[in-house]
Amino acid sequence: MSDVTANPGETPTETPTETGDAVMVDLTAAPEAAEAQAVAAELAAQSLGQYFRAWWLRVRGGDSGVLPVVLAIVVVAVAFQIANPKFLSAQNLVNLFEQSTIYMLLAMAEIFVLLLGEIDLSVGLVMGLGSVVVAELVQPDKANWPWWAAIIATLIACAAIGLIQGSMVARLKMPSFIVTLGGLLILEGVAIIVLGGSLVGIGNSQYHNELVIYNIFWGSFDPVVSWILMVVLVGAAGTWLWLRDDRKRRHGLEAPPRSLTALKIVLMAVAGIALVAICNVNRAHVGTIEGVPYIIPIVLVVLGASTVLLQRTRFGRYVYAIGGNPEAARRAGVSLPSIRTWCFVLAAVISGIAGVLFASWQVSLTTNIIKSANSYVLLAVAAAVIGGTSLFGGRGKTIHGVLGGLVIGGIYNGLYLLGVSSEWIDVVVAAVLLAAAIIDVLSRRGAPRRT
Amino acid sequence: MPPDQELPVTDPGETAAEAADPRIAVDLTAAPEAAAADVPPELVAQSLGEYYRAWWLRLRSGDSGVLPVVLAMVVVGVVFEIITPEHAFLRPSNLVFIFGLSTVYMVLAMAETVVLLLGEIDLSVGAVALIGGVIAFKLVQPGAGWPWWAAILAALVVCGLFGSLQGTLTARLRIPSFVVTLAGFLLFSGILIVVLGGADGFVNLDSTKFDQRVIYDLVQGTIAPVASWVLLVLVIGVAGTTQWLRAARRRRQGLVAPPVSVIAIKIALMALIGAAVVAVCTVNRGTTLKVVQGVPWVIPIVLVVLGVWTLVLGRTRFGRYLYAIGGNPEAARRAGVSLAGIRTWAFALCAATAGLGGILLGSFFYGEYSTNTADPGQLVLYTVAAAVIGGVSLFGGRGKAIHGVLGGFLIGSIAYGVALLNLGSLSTPLQYILPGAVLLAAVLIDVQSRRGTGGVTRV
Repeated sequence: MSDVTANPGETPTETPTETGDAVMVDLTAAPEAAEAQAVAAELAAQSLGQYFRAWWLRVRGGDSGVLPVVLAIVVVAVAFQIANPKFLSAQNLVNLFEQSTIYMLLAMAEIFVLLLGEIDLSVGLVMGLGSVVVAELVQPDKANWPWWAAIIATLIACAAIGLIQGSMVARLKMPSFIVTLGGLLILEGVAIIVLGGSLVGIGNSQYHNELVIYNIFWGSFDPVVSWILMVVLVGAAGTWLWLRDDRKRRHGLEAPPRSLTALKIVLMAVAGIALVAICNVNRAHVGTIEGVPYIIPIVLVVLGASTVLLQRTRFGRYVYAIGGNPEAARRAGVSLPSIRTWCFVLAAVISGIAGVLFASWQVSLTTNIIKSANSYVLLAVAAAVIGGTSLFGGRGKTIHGVLGGLVIGGIYNGLYLLGVSSEWIDVVVAAVLLAAAIIDVLSRRGAPRRT
Repeated sequence: MPPDQELPVTDPGETAAEAADPRIAVDLTAAPEAAAADVPPELVAQSLGEYYRAWWLRLRSGDSGVLPVVLAMVVVGVVFEIITPEHAFLRPSNLVFIFGLSTVYMVLAMAETVVLLLGEIDLSVGAVALIGGVIAFKLVQPGAGWPWWAAILAALVVCGLFGSLQGTLTARLRIPSFVVTLAGFLLFSGILIVVLGGADGFVNLDSTKFDQRVIYDLVQGTIAPVASWVLLVLVIGVAGTTQWLRAARRRRQGLVAPPVSVIAIKIALMALIGAAVVAVCTVNRGTTLKVVQGVPWVIPIVLVVLGVWTLVLGRTRFGRYLYAIGGNPEAARRAGVSLAGIRTWAFALCAATAGLGGILLGSFFYGEYSTNTADPGQLVLYTVAAAVIGGVSLFGGRGKAIHGVLGGFLIGSIAYGVALLNLGSLSTPLQYILPGAVLLAAVLIDVQSRRGTGGVTRV
């Protein structure tokens, strides 16, 4: 990677077609056009100004990253705020995040599979089955397991489902959307069997294990603890970021300009402060509910872990390689079946985490709620694609799932606040999914590689 | 969907000769059959014996046609007959009911087959079908007061428009069809509720009004027993004579034609199956007080749809282009086929056929439509399962309308058989697990048999 970025000033004589006059001024244009995809903007830029120019060129080159989804979030926020001033109130923002949590987690799960160019239509029911399993295991009159054992067992069960489906796709070469279509039918049946009677609940606060599961979604940190945690987290992340870039710079490696690192840390701190400030407003109608809900760090941990896995490990590079060109990856010695299987396992495990949250969110589970879990698949795919993950594999990050989930949650929440009935909400979400898919296709067409 | 690459069909006849298989010298059909596995056996065989040998070779080479689904139907019939309480599964009344229940799956599976032949998929057929049904039902209500045929036509046109919309997005923009139709599924499920008039909306047919009665009778109405027999004799007579005359003409003109004995057996089989169906249907399936007997209208209706789609797929240019695109899109394009045009039409016709399925579904539910009538998501799953179980390949280029009908009947049989078993709390989950398992098994067989013929190569 680093060899191509040597000197941005040397190559721009090659005639970049459309912007001939701009080239003489803009030193970053030519290398950017030549390898717009391969090199991250911050690696090529030497100053903050160059960084932003490089980034802008990259966006125009078809690789727009998170920009469209951030714009979408702004549009959604502004539009709904105008329609209903309650939309951006602190109470509703926390509510919105709660509604988006499941979309975010399932979208992150889906992204592992989408990156391969496959799809998993069963994530919704893996979540559904996971929620039933965890709720059944902590029932004091049945299994009566401790909460942590129940969660671990649920995640193992989900991993096993992913292993089976992944093996069918990767080793038996069955099309993924059919395997997971059949899989979701079977999982729906199994979930109803596990559910046994008609209803299982975790809302009884007499029992410690049920209470813990309940609090995963509904519990919050104390406001003071929230502040302390935020300061510790931002401090740690900021220091790490600064030291890493500094070390790179000292070793003469490509590193972002110092101002950019500082800007990132400031932005992180501002976001953290805003988040905690919003969450610390009392959001109860009666009594007091305040503080950062546990689900926010849970989503952040899943996001962080999956980002590190995909961006910084060999496994992650192989996933992108397979998604970009499976045959090339195979010839480079990547074991396609095992990487593919692992992606399905990881997707199922993250769906299992969503399942634990789903059980906690719903408090009591019925056959109808299990069936409704299926509808989350579409929204998860929509969230991932809206976030900027390609359906054709090889392009996407788990942050896209979080941002796309926020858009979907925002649309649902906003339309619901406006009193729009659920069928029209479905129509709007479908239109958004289609729009995202069209943008995906068109931007792939604009990009230089692969048709 | 990853682009499938067709490998050249190797010639097993040649390699087998090197291995000195003694049968090769005798069996004239072996080499041409192996050389062109796509040629139907009746075109190369000269006698009944040769015909069956050719058929058997074709079967072994991986192109098993309807045989697996017919075997599966026999197994399902026998097993459920043994394990259902009072051995009720194969009672005439149940068989007729299963046909009514399966109608929607049969018609939707035929619709889905058209798109599957291209190597695409339509996940919105369930929702589109339900919209079609609701539109037809609404239009014959007193408020609108359309004649029944206009209402049905309008429903099919609207569904066709929905299909062409999705087809355009898939064919021209090349958005993967499962994403377009996934969004379509969500969109049309929403529109369905809007058309119904809200989540608790419903529409039902008043069977005392003529136009409503006609639509009500599509599945519920029956042809009188005597008329049933007369009709059967007529249909078999016409179909048999046509087949016989066509083969005779071909033979006279020196074209390839199936042997006389094969034609005779085909006509005899047709007559036998027809007689069995009519015999089953003319048994009274009501009570002693209210007699219900005769062939339900839905059987000829399904046969007409089957006939039309068989003709379109087998004997028109459009049909040949569908197979060509499904087999190898790039080759079809270079041969001058308009990929976008054919694909768009396929989606439109699929949706229109699905709309008819939706009308029949409402008629099966005694002319009542509500949000509880059917879950569009489950309809799609059953539909795809029916087509694939019937023998339609998911990778495009292989399948016939009859596969959809047989697969649909199998799915309906399994669903009803499970319901008959009185499994209590297990019966609901089994209604999900069995089709899922059958779908996976069918796809596994599809994948493996394609691999045997060297059809699909995927990394």
